Amino acid sequence: MVHLNRVSKHYPGRAGPVLREVSLQVPRGQFLYLTGPSGAGKTTIMRLLLGAELPTRGRVRVGGKDLGRLGPRGLARFRRRVGFVFQDFKLVEGLSVFENVALSLRVAGVKGPRLVERVEQVLKQVGLERASGERIDNLSGGEQQRVAIARAMAADPPLILADEPTGNLDPQNAREVMRLLRSAHARGATVILATHDPALLGLVPGARVVRLAGGRLEEER
Amino acid sequence: MSRPAPRRGALRRALGQMAQDPWLQLTAISSLSVALAIVGAYLTLCFNLQDAARRLSTGASLMLVLKDEVSPARGRALALGLAARPQVESARYLSRAQALERFRRQLGPHAGLLEGLGKNPLPQSVELLLRPAAPLEPLMAELKNLEPVQEVVTSRPWLHRLEEAVGVMREIAGALGLLLFVGVVFLVSNTVRLAVYVRRQQLEVMELVGASTGYMRRPFLWEAVIQALVASGLASLLVAGIFRVLGSPAALPLGLDLGRLLRMPPQVPLVLGAVALAAGLLGGFLGVGRALKTRGW
Repeated sequence: MVHLNRVSKHYPGRAGPVLREVSLQVPRGQFLYLTGPSGAGKTTIMRLLLGAELPTRGRVRVGGKDLGRLGPRGLARFRRRVGFVFQDFKLVEGLSVFENVALSLRVAGVKGPRLVERVEQVLKQVGLERASGERIDNLSGGEQQRVAIARAMAADPPLILADEPTGNLDPQNAREVMRLLRSAHARGATVILATHDPALLGLVPGARVVRLAGGRLEEER
Repeated sequence: MSRPAPRRGALRRALGQMAQDPWLQLTAISSLSVALAIVGAYLTLCFNLQDAARRLSTGASLMLVLKDEVSPARGRALALGLAARPQVESARYLSRAQALERFRRQLGPHAGLLEGLGKNPLPQSVELLLRPAAPLEPLMAELKNLEPVQEVVTSRPWLHRLEEAVGVMREIAGALGLLLFVGVVFLVSNTVRLAVYVRRQQLEVMELVGASTGYMRRPFLWEAVIQALVASGLASLLVAGIFRVLGSPAALPLGLDLGRLLRMPPQVPLVLGAVALAAGLLGGFLGVGRALKTRGW
């Protein structure tokens, strides 16, 4: 599903590369923890996997597509098949819960009763079916992150990228977010979760853990 | 039971966006209205100037001053004969009394100045309106030699200078019009960039969920077009109002009708609408393109 081949990333003005010839293969259906201290390059890998950045050297392939070769249209089509959850939620303020979740379906051309049905279904899965008409600004942090997860799951993507999804949440909400990601994984999605919080590592039985340090990846178990 | 999904076409999204930021809309539409009102005022002046020049040039005329001893019947017969000539559009005999009466009308409220005249000083005459391409010099030479004619007066040299001046002004008007259009496009483009900036968070999210550039661009184009069209309507009202006020003073001396020079022709709102539409599309396209290109997340 995901294939990083000797990927290096160097930002201008920064001493030394963030990533040094990183290679990683994530098979379809795997749950992968990407750990490491803050500033280790976890977010850089997530951005590379979303096609938001290009590697300085090496290749990034996701779902058989070389992201470095995709044009703007190809990249947009690729992103419709990837769900993402970020620490800062990345929701549109001023829009309702329903509209935020529907966004990922609308850009893919889903409309009418199919769209409504799917949005209501995922909102039920994250326990927010009653908040459908609420404005995002009126929700708590935990609820907002559940909306973000609902949006990530709405198009039923084969890959979900979660970058510190519990970073802004209390332990109870963090556990709820992990439960939702686990259920998405149980339904067949490949999940890559970047976190610096070791408390999350035991929450998904059988998950693979890789550690990023000094710009290099090490397999943990 | 599922409720129906609200339709979210590009126009709907644009209207939704606009409703979210009424102050931004007000600012954008006000500044565009002022810019388009300047274009509208300029167009109105150009139309009026051209119209005035056209009216004056088709009214190129000769006045044959007749000798005192010529009888009115002979003057009328002369006018009739001249009207049959191919170079002449129309010919009219004007008696001394008629000339005085016309002068009185032209003086308007100042006609009282004529009260002190003991005797009518104006001559009888025949007025000729020439066809536009009629050669002037040979005709004048011939008419001067007619027995009842004392003098021939023409407005052509003055008109020729006016036509030349209008030609130069037309060229300047074209360049100035283009400059004003570029200014409006620039204004629309910057307004759209401001709208993109205000909604950068929304665009970032849309980009992440896989929205194409076209999908993100379309509502901004609609927004720019709607703003420009609303602004063109307001600008038309503004220009019509201003010219109505300017053109409505009481009768001016010498029969000048300022209202005729300062009225807004019906073409102006249509041209303004077309300019606004073109500027909205072009400015919207350029503005959102530049803003999306320079934005990173």
